[in-house]
Amino acid sequence: MGAFVSAAWLLFHTHLRRLAWSKRALVCALLALLAPLAAFLVASLGRRVGPADVAVHVGFLLQLQVILPVLALVAGSAAVAEEVEDRTITFLFSRPVPRPAVLIGRWSAILVFLLTLLAASTLLLLAASARAKGHGDAVDAGIREPLLVAVLLGGAVYSALFAVLGVFVKNPIIVGLGYAFAFEGFLANLPASTQALTIQFYLRSVVAALGSPAWNRVEGFASPSFDPLPKALWTLGLVLALALALGAWRIARREFVVSA
Amino acid sequence: MSTIVEATDLSRYYGPVVGLNDLTVRIEEGVTGLLGPNGAGKSTFLKLVAGEIRPSRGRVTVLGYAPFANREYFRRVGFCPQQDALYGEMTGLEFVAFLLRLSGFSRADANARAVRALERVGLADAMERRTRGYSKGMRQRARLAQAIAHDPRLLIVDEPMSGLDPLARRAMTQLFHEIAGGGVSILISSHILHEVEGLTRNVVLLHRGRLLAQGPVPEIRGLLSRHPRKVELRARNARALASSLLELDHVLSVRLSTDGGSVQLETRDLDRFWSELPRVATETRAGVQSLESTDASLEAVFDYLVS
Repeated sequence: MGAFVSAAWLLFHTHLRRLAWSKRALVCALLALLAPLAAFLVASLGRRVGPADVAVHVGFLLQLQVILPVLALVAGSAAVAEEVEDRTITFLFSRPVPRPAVLIGRWSAILVFLLTLLAASTLLLLAASARAKGHGDAVDAGIREPLLVAVLLGGAVYSALFAVLGVFVKNPIIVGLGYAFAFEGFLANLPASTQALTIQFYLRSVVAALGSPAWNRVEGFASPSFDPLPKALWTLGLVLALALALGAWRIARREFVVSA
Repeated sequence: MSTIVEATDLSRYYGPVVGLNDLTVRIEEGVTGLLGPNGAGKSTFLKLVAGEIRPSRGRVTVLGYAPFANREYFRRVGFCPQQDALYGEMTGLEFVAFLLRLSGFSRADANARAVRALERVGLADAMERRTRGYSKGMRQRARLAQAIAHDPRLLIVDEPMSGLDPLARRAMTQLFHEIAGGGVSILISSHILHEVEGLTRNVVLLHRGRLLAQGPVPEIRGLLSRHPRKVELRARNARALASSLLELDHVLSVRLSTDGGSVQLETRDLDRFWSELPRVATETRAGVQSLESTDASLEAVFDYLVS
């Protein structure tokens, strides 16, 4: 256990430092600016739209449904797949480290980076929404808190899923995009119980449980069938834990054949 | 001498592609060259020995361990992979120290060992520079430094001379001599045969995933005594010389170069050829300018064995 923790810790802070100055971080930062930019444009140009409307619409339709999974995919899939792609994984796997420490250490660094970025992006989005001049509710705690909590929870769960995806497949970005948009995007918006198969459903349940009535104005959001908060949190936690456990099991056994 | 690598009926497949086929080989301590053309199975064998991949069939033990994902084993070996990959944003010192710390060394010990290893491979002046600015030879040396920094008992090196200029090759060869002199066994793969010949007399020849031959170079070369040898002559009247040489009963084939200035031949009896050549050259007024037996090197042995 000591070897696992010390290796994971070393990989965590080494990767966090590498990540901060990488091209991937720049791509992530640009992606994170999209939702605040959209909120700024809508707030500036939409004369009859109030701050709350801007925040919930951009927050739900763009930040939660699009930016969150894409950011988590770009950052999360790098956990192991980047080492394979860069052909440096040989150096790590020819050392006496427990292999799952590579996944956990690097994913933890990605998590810190991603959550910082998502929090900043969401706060900017809310600040930009507050500039709207139209009539309507202000951006209050009932909008701020559920959006922030859902985005951060989603960042953790999605990034773990995509990190583990990188342990299983060679091109996690392509498979992850398919998952995020073809699978989640489709099922989460079907008016059926299949919604419960998606991460989005539980994130929406969190928003529904914590949020103000302003959220019900978003088309497709108002639904009587969301899970209560404890069940949603428990499910998200379970998915996160199972994904990491599966990834740890797989990385301990998988061969990573890199070409010269 | 003790055995460091023992492979029994070792096979490795990549889907339908055979990387290594039913290989049984025993490698003793010391320096051993693993030779073969591209696709011979050298890298596959080294990946199996280095614990990067598992056998599809058969078994391999190295230093008494099954290598794949074996942490105890990794404390005792150093692996210098073929791929030209480093952490570009790290300095040479950070790179080696990072990997040493993953091996369990304290920060201070890792730094001290990293400095020593980098000095040993000749990167003392460049150790504070980011590795993305390194030349190919420096990158190769940085990879070697991480492989030797923890004082392994066995060093596994995949194609270390690939892409290096002659000076860098010579320096690398010298370094391997020094490392081996310290009691470290080295398993080194290459398709640059004369360089391996300069490192060790013990070679393992692989071809198409199978063991072709193993042993000291002179013994392998002895295989040639029963087989045709190649000779190349340069002469003013090479065409007439070629024609006459073809009439000798021990000469199997004769080939005239496109410029008509040299002859390449194969003979079953090199001694008879040397004794008869002066007569033939005189009769044909060939004007022999130079002659060379192209079978003198390990490369020729290899060429013959795989043909």
